Order: sequence, then C-alpha cells, then structure tokens
Amino acid sequence: MTLRTAALVAGALGVLLLIAGLIADAQRPPADIEAEATLDTAVVVYSPEMVAFAGDNTLGVDGEGDVVALTARPVDADAWLAERDATEVTGLPEWETLSTAPYEVAEPEPTASPSVSPSASPSPEPSPSVSPSGEEAEPVDILALTSSDHWREQWSGVDRVAVPAAQVPPGETLVVVSRDGSPLAATDMTLSREVNDGWITPLIWWGVALTVVGLIALILRFIDTRPWQARAEKWRVGRHGATDDVDPGSRRALRASGDPLPDVTLDHPADNPPATPASPPSTPENPHDQGGRA
Amino acid sequence: MNRRVLGVITGASALLLLTGCVADVPAPVTEAPALEQEAALLEPQSTRVVEETMAEIAAADEAQDSELFTDRVGGNAVTIRKAQYTLAKSDGGPAPVTVPENVQAVYSVGADTWPRTLAAVTEEADEDSTPVVMLWVQDSIDADYQMRGWAHMIPGATIPAMSGTTSGNAQLDVDAEGLQATPEQAMSDYLELLRSGTGSEFNDVFAADSYREQLFASRATLSEAASEAEGEYVDTIQSDIENTYVMGTADGGALVFAPVTIKSAFSVSDGAVEIADEQQPLVSGDIEDVAVYTYVDTLVMYVPAEGSDEQMGVVAADHNLIKISDS
Repeated sequence: MTLRTAALVAGALGVLLLIAGLIADAQRPPADIEAEATLDTAVVVYSPEMVAFAGDNTLGVDGEGDVVALTARPVDADAWLAERDATEVTGLPEWETLSTAPYEVAEPEPTASPSVSPSASPSPEPSPSVSPSGEEAEPVDILALTSSDHWREQWSGVDRVAVPAAQVPPGETLVVVSRDGSPLAATDMTLSREVNDGWITPLIWWGVALTVVGLIALILRFIDTRPWQARAEKWRVGRHGATDDVDPGSRRALRASGDPLPDVTLDHPADNPPATPASPPSTPENPHDQGGRA
Repeated sequence: MNRRVLGVITGASALLLLTGCVADVPAPVTEAPALEQEAALLEPQSTRVVEETMAEIAAADEAQDSELFTDRVGGNAVTIRKAQYTLAKSDGGPAPVTVPENVQAVYSVGADTWPRTLAAVTEEADEDSTPVVMLWVQDSIDADYQMRGWAHMIPGATIPAMSGTTSGNAQLDVDAEGLQATPEQAMSDYLELLRSGTGSEFNDVFAADSYREQLFASRATLSEAASEAEGEYVDTIQSDIENTYVMGTADGGALVFAPVTIKSAFSVSDGAVEIADEQQPLVSGDIEDVAVYTYVDTLVMYVPAEGSDEQMGVVAADHNLIKISDS
C-alpha cells in the first residue's frame, strides 16, 4: 500500500468519523431535562418518597387559573384526598417521562383484632363516576370548601406553580390543586443528569484531520507531480554529490577502505588520571575524534 | 447503495454511542423520610387558628352578637358567651369576661385520627385574674379547629409539662389506662366530691382548688337561706363525657377538658324566689317558688400517670351562669 492509498483510506475514515461526530453533536442529549406527565384531575399528589426522589430538583404543575401547592402530614393528606379524585406521580420510568396513577389512600395499619368482617370485600361492580347530565358545574374554590388548618406550607401561581422539592419538609406530602376544580394540564420535574459526551468533540476533530489528509491525497492524485519530483531528485543528487568527499582517517573512510576500527577503552590509564573539576579538560585520545567533523 | 448503507451505519453508530452516554434513571426512593414535626399543628398553623379565633371573638364582642360565632368558636363557648352578652346588654350589666388575646403556650396533639384537640394558655387579662386555658376541637379533616371552651386557671395551679411539636401530645380516650384513674373515672369521682361536699371520701384524693371551695361556700349560704324560707337548695351536677377530651402530657399524665352542667334549684315554700336585678336578663319563664340556676362549667383536670406521686386536681375551671328558669 502506497502512502497515497493509505492517506485516501484515512480520508475516507475521517469522513465517516466526521459524519458520526456531527450527527452525535446534533443529537447530543441535554444534561438538564424535564420529565413530564399529563394530568386529567384537579389534584395531583407527590408522596414523601417522590419528593425525596426529586431531591434538589423542581416540581412544576401547569393548569388554568390559580394553581396551589400545599404540604401536609401524610395522614392528613390521605384524609383530605379520601373523597377526591387525584392523580399520584409514582415514578420516573424514563428520563423524560413521569409515571402516574390514580391516587389511592393508604390502607390503615391492620389492627390486632382477629375478627374480620367478610362484608369488607370490595364490590366487583364499578360505581358510576361520571354524571351523565353533561352540565358544567359551577366553579368553586375547592380549598375553601373545607378546613385548611392541616396545610403546612403553601405556594401558589397563576397557570403554573413550581416548587423546589428541597423546600418541602421531609416526610410531608405535596398536594397541588387547581383552585377552581378544573383539571390540571401537566406536571413536570426538572432534572440534571450526567451525560458522557466528551468524546464527541475529539471525534469531530479527528474526522476533520483525517479528512484533510485524504483530501490532500485526493488532490495530489489529479495533479501531475512528476516535474516537481524530478526537480527534487535533482536537488537531492546535487546535494549528495557535494557531500561525497570522505574525510581521510574518519570512521566512514575506514569502513569504506575495509580497515578495522580501533578499539576504544573506557578505563583510565594509570598515567592519565581522570579529570577533576579543577583540572583542564583532557584531550580526547580517539584520533578519529581529533579528525573531527570540522 | 454503498454510500447510503455507509451513511446509515455511521448515523446508527453515532446514535448507539449516544444511547450509552446517558446515565441510567436513578433508582426510586422506596421509604418515606421520617416526618420531622409530627404534631398535627405546627406553630404557624396554631397561631393562625388562635388569631382567627380571637378575631371572631372580638367581632362578636363588639356587636355583642353570638350569631357571629361561625367557624372558630362553637359548642359551650357560644352558649356561655351568649349569656354574657345578654347580661352585658342590660343596664349596668357586667361586661363579658375578657379573653386575653396573647397566648403564652400552645399544645397540639400528634394524633392521626379525629377528633383532635388544641390547647392554649393565655396571659393574664389583668392583675386580678389568672391565665385562661382554652380548648379547640377539630371533628374531622374538613372541619376547622373550633374553640369549645375556656376556663381560668385555679390560683396556684400549674399546667404540667407538655410535649412540643416534634412529637405532639397524645390524644387519649376517656377510658385511657396508665393513669392514676381513667379520665372518665377521675371526672366521676370529682363530680361525686362536688355533690357530697367536703365530707366526701374523694376530698383528699383531689388537690384543693378554689372552684369547689366557692361552690361549697355558695351551697352552704344558699342552703341556709332556703332553710330559713322552709325551702331547699339542691345542686344537680352532670358531666358530658361525649364532649370530654383528654390530652396526654409529657410526664405520661393527662389533661382532661370536661364540660359540666350544674343545675342549682333554690326553692321556698312560703313565698317567691327573688332574682337579683343583674341576673334578670337570664330569667326564662315565670319564677315563683322555685328558681333553677343553670351553669355550664368548663373543668380542666390533671390526672397524673400511674405510680406518680402527684395528686389529681383541677387546674382550671369557670362557673358560668347561662339561664335561670322555673324548672
């Protein structure tokens, strides 16, 4: 394989690397993302576990009108939510998706009583939950309908409320409601994630470099360089001709004449002590060095 | 063809590389962090409850209209205040009892069920009065905490140590064990003491208190007066266990908040009972030879833990006349 062929192959590889790098750069995943979920209830719940999961990130809820976020003890939130339709954010199955489920009130702790009524089994018949009348209900303030004594912290906003999860006291449930009872639109959680994309930029530069090499080889393929080569050959021959004279007595002259090269000992002869820092520099004994490359 | 395949391979390779450069979704948190403040009401919440209560009382006092007690004041507190307004509206009638606005301590429960209570001790209204112990009750999650009763502290009595908001105080039942007596039994014994007087076997069981001393003194005076008129004086004392609430204390004891109804019947056989002018506004019906004074009292009793050296006793009580009738 000639140098030119190798350069062309490198150029082709460079083009591939460059394309791959540019595609990767265009599709580079963002480090800061927003996981979302759509909602269809007026109330959304983040359990203490989900609030802890959110850590230092922000929880947001979009709706129409006043949107209010409140915290409460889990048992109080359960009691308040018991008779309301609510959606619970249950997890983060994918980076950009929040999973949700209808909120279910936590079952009370089982008692030690051995007697359990068999009638406690749930009815298999679904109960109708949607009014067939189709009439629009009067907007009400669902927070004002009941006591607000159990709410501990509160944030509010118009069309959206965002709550830093770190500001929710540990162990408390976060409940977000649309004050007028209209369904909330969506909830989101801003997240920061680690993206290992440090290889993309070097890949692009390597691709550029190899492509340039290949491009040069390709250009040279279509240019007649023989005059330049002949001129270079002539210059090289001329330069060699000027330097063919061999210094008599040099190692090169000895090799050319077939004479053996002199042995060189590293030991100092007794009558020639090693130089000390105070003594003048010793004269090299090697006659070939004396011949020098002056 | 080859270029297209190469392009596809290159693009797919880039995307494959990208999929590997994002960290996995973090693992879910499966265990809820511990609640730092377990009390049902924290200070900002209880402050709001107290302030709204005081505002409602102030508005009602200004109008001397008990109908203005809607959200934050209820139960016997309305009945008692209504009688005080009735007296205050008469010429020269006494002003309603002052309920100090500033509280010096608030006690919340850490209960998970209902009803729940909140108690507060106010500052003294003036030099001649003692702090007032107030009781709020929340019947359900949807109901506001409502002030149901108050009572002035017995001179010399102290409120036992109570738990803070970290854990809250226990909400106990009237039949709670682990005390010197169940709250229900303690109240029953104390009412028996009130009925029987100082000769009761329970006189030494309970610490001395000015409430029963005044009741006994009044009874002695009125009994003597009735006897002189060949009549009699009889106190009928009943508790209201259904509306009695018990809050645990930090030392394992309990504070019992009990409404008590006392009907004092004064009768004469040779004439008519004369009602004092300042009490006339509370008269209901025609009073002739019998006058029944109805009092709705609020008692706050401390029941120490079982094995404690402390003595049971009433720490706060008020004697509130609400009606005078002929039966």
